Amino acid sequence: MQKMKLFVSEGNPHCLKALAVLELTGVKCDVQHVNHEEKVVPFLSRPTLPVLHLPSGQYLFSSNAICQYLFDVSKKGSSKQSHQWLEWEATELQPALMYALHLVVVQGKTADSAKGLEAPLSFLEQSLSKRTTAFLTAETVGVADIVLWAALYPAFLENGLKTSELKSTRTWFERVGVLPACQASVQTVLKGKGVEALKGYLQKQPAPHGQHTQPRNTHTSSN
Amino acid sequence: MALKELSSLEKFLGLKKPNKYSTQGDRKVPVLQSNSGPGLVGLVTIATHLTQEAKKPDLLGSSAEERAVVQQWLEYRVTRLDGCAKEDIRTILKDLNTYLEDKVYLAGNHISIADPLMYYGLHHIIMDLAVHEKEKYLNVTRWFDHMQHYPIVRHHLPPVAVLRNRVYTSGHH
Repeated sequence: MQKMKLFVSEGNPHCLKALAVLELTGVKCDVQHVNHEEKVVPFLSRPTLPVLHLPSGQYLFSSNAICQYLFDVSKKGSSKQSHQWLEWEATELQPALMYALHLVVVQGKTADSAKGLEAPLSFLEQSLSKRTTAFLTAETVGVADIVLWAALYPAFLENGLKTSELKSTRTWFERVGVLPACQASVQTVLKGKGVEALKGYLQKQPAPHGQHTQPRNTHTSSN
Repeated sequence: MALKELSSLEKFLGLKKPNKYSTQGDRKVPVLQSNSGPGLVGLVTIATHLTQEAKKPDLLGSSAEERAVVQQWLEYRVTRLDGCAKEDIRTILKDLNTYLEDKVYLAGNHISIADPLMYYGLHHIIMDLAVHEKEKYLNVTRWFDHMQHYPIVRHHLPPVAVLRNRVYTSGHH
């Protein structure tokens, strides 16, 4: 059996998730810092990080699967609700976020950046305002909380977001963000440089097309 | 599309009673209707739920590692494969081909729920491949053919002739 190893790179927003969960769960694992272009997973053409090299030799190259795995082995488990949040994060929130971050950090178009995020954020706000627990799925912090918090962190650093309208989101976001594990991962990934720290990473990514985020046929009411 | 797939998945899992589904949004995300409370949203979420309902937890992976690998390929299906740009298809096939080089199934030596779901997602792509491309991505083709001959997986989809040898020379008469 090999030792488990987590590969991360500085300024990569997806690494925020994995490092926060690693710290929170206390799972024993080596952390290796590499640069964005390092090809860690032998079968993937495009460099992808973070990557967890499992004791069996398998590679996990999805940050959400890494987080789920770390929760799983630390016996914290995950619920059906958290599955649904992780899928929503990967399919709905991430494309919108990457598009918005690319606009702001790479192209400097702050004004347009919040538009594509309106729909997913208002969905999150609605869900959070209806919940009865302190965190998304339970009274204690779960895998979905860390994954969503980390995904939103770079966007919330930007003033472009009208956070006043997202009251429940903001309360929940701060509750997760004060956890020492989250603060430690922010320090490791962003090094106190804010969203500018993400520039190097974002420039290397294929430019996200806004097809998921364009408001075609969406039934958003503007009242 | 996703709904036919879910009904095939129910049969693969041996679930007798069909569930009610609808879709939401532009991307037609499947929703599993529920009599009590809100439905479950998303292909991965619903597939995972159905597997638990069918009491076949091994199809979700029998260890923490396997469970993570299964979830990863399920996520890959809905984030990378679905709605991928034309120019990305070759990269996806190339990567899968390298990955499957030393594996029978996506999670290794055991079939998991990721196999039928990836098979459903890849079907239209494999169907459009020219013969020489099917030979180029030989490991994908081998896995794909294995899946379409796997009991009850294929269901709503037509069979795809994969390899020249297999189609033209084997004893089909």
